[in-house]
Amino acid sequence: MRVGTWVQTGVLAAFLVLIMSVTGGCATSPNPADPEAVAEFNAINDPGEPANRAIFAVNRGLDAAFLKPVAMAYRDMTPQFFQDRINDALDNLRSPVIFFNDVLQGELERAVATVIRFMINSSLGLLGLNDIATDLGVEGHDEDFGQTLAVWGIPEGPYMMLPLFGPSNPRDAIGIVVDFLIDPFNIWAGNTDRDYAIYSRSAARAVDLRALHMETLDELEKSSLDFYASIRSLYRQRRVNEIGNGDPSDNLPVISIGTAP
Amino acid sequence: MMDHSRTQAALRGLVFIFVFVLPFGFAPPSAAAETEERAGSFIRSLATEAMESLTQEDAPRNKRIQRFRKLFNDHFAVRSIGRFVLGRTWRKASKEEQTEYLKLFEDLMVVSYVDRFTRYAGKNLTITRTRAESAKSTTVFSEINTANTGKPVQVLWRVGSLGKVMKIVDVIVEGASMSQTLRSDFGSIVRQKGGKVSGLIEELRKKTATLKASAP
Repeated sequence: MRVGTWVQTGVLAAFLVLIMSVTGGCATSPNPADPEAVAEFNAINDPGEPANRAIFAVNRGLDAAFLKPVAMAYRDMTPQFFQDRINDALDNLRSPVIFFNDVLQGELERAVATVIRFMINSSLGLLGLNDIATDLGVEGHDEDFGQTLAVWGIPEGPYMMLPLFGPSNPRDAIGIVVDFLIDPFNIWAGNTDRDYAIYSRSAARAVDLRALHMETLDELEKSSLDFYASIRSLYRQRRVNEIGNGDPSDNLPVISIGTAP
Repeated sequence: MMDHSRTQAALRGLVFIFVFVLPFGFAPPSAAAETEERAGSFIRSLATEAMESLTQEDAPRNKRIQRFRKLFNDHFAVRSIGRFVLGRTWRKASKEEQTEYLKLFEDLMVVSYVDRFTRYAGKNLTITRTRAESAKSTTVFSEINTANTGKPVQVLWRVGSLGKVMKIVDVIVEGASMSQTLRSDFGSIVRQKGGKVSGLIEELRKKTATLKASAP
């Protein structure tokens, strides 16, 4: 990694330490005499909750001030056609990372699909701007190193709210770093002195994703009593779904209708 | 002389199997298949009803809320979902608190889901398959086509049945269960209010008031 990235990592670490010391880092432990409360606390697995909530508040502030207005302008003013092209191109750029993780997880069929998609969309699809492969029947999927670690049996660890990146956990955070390091686009940009390309791409992806999930997140925020808790639950459920490649989880809640439903 | 008694015993055994065992042996699988089919039609009719009653552009918001409330109560097991969402705190609540909680829970669901449902009501809902989880529970797998980015959204409907009654007990969108998310949300509030339902009820009152007052 270049010096600039180390400095950024150092600043980030210092920021986290500051937040944790100011908020008194750790969550209050439950009453040990109440076994149900203890079980609940362990199941939630968020020992750094006060610090996480503080970081969440900062993220929401940054989102309201910068990301959301840009994403809304993008959504409202960019023709849907261009939004789709940008989305397709950004998805296509992720193909190498998706391929690596498919292979590492032993998902050879999915790996082949990724290669086919990349080849078709980059050539016929004009550098990835058009997702022709899906129309041809080769559907896409996403993968990341966090999912690979999960497939390898590594547990997620306690809940972590990352500055900027949002909800995560130690395993997925490592995944983000590894994916960043092995991405050929980033390696190329780093070697040819085009770091701005990495920032532009990350910014474009952030805006794209934010615009895509605008309504869902807005509605969740409006209707949640505790938005932080809703996001935490949602993040974990989505990760389980992603890791299982869309197979319905066996952990879905069991609700039966009583005599007066 | 031939041994009639053993032949007769064998015949009796065969009669017994054909008359008593086989019919019941075959019945449960077809009963489950029937339930699955009923669950599929149940979701299909909900989609049609929602589309008819919610996508009328001229209806003012409170009219849509009224219609959605009826749709919601007809098709969702509101009470059962409410109890699940509250978790173990349900047992600690008094009868009055339980009643008030359920009323506020229904309010919150109706007001917060009416906009979401209105958005989805006009879209194509395709049922891909059904799966029986148990004698009383079926999962209906469906896809909804949204306007942007070709990939359809996977929505699972958990349908609970009790006799002839069928109600939705959960909606799972791309792996995220509505009931589970609500349970985590409410659970966090209860913990913050020292384990008391009254604290949650207070928050529910405030939230439903805000949502009703806000413009669509």
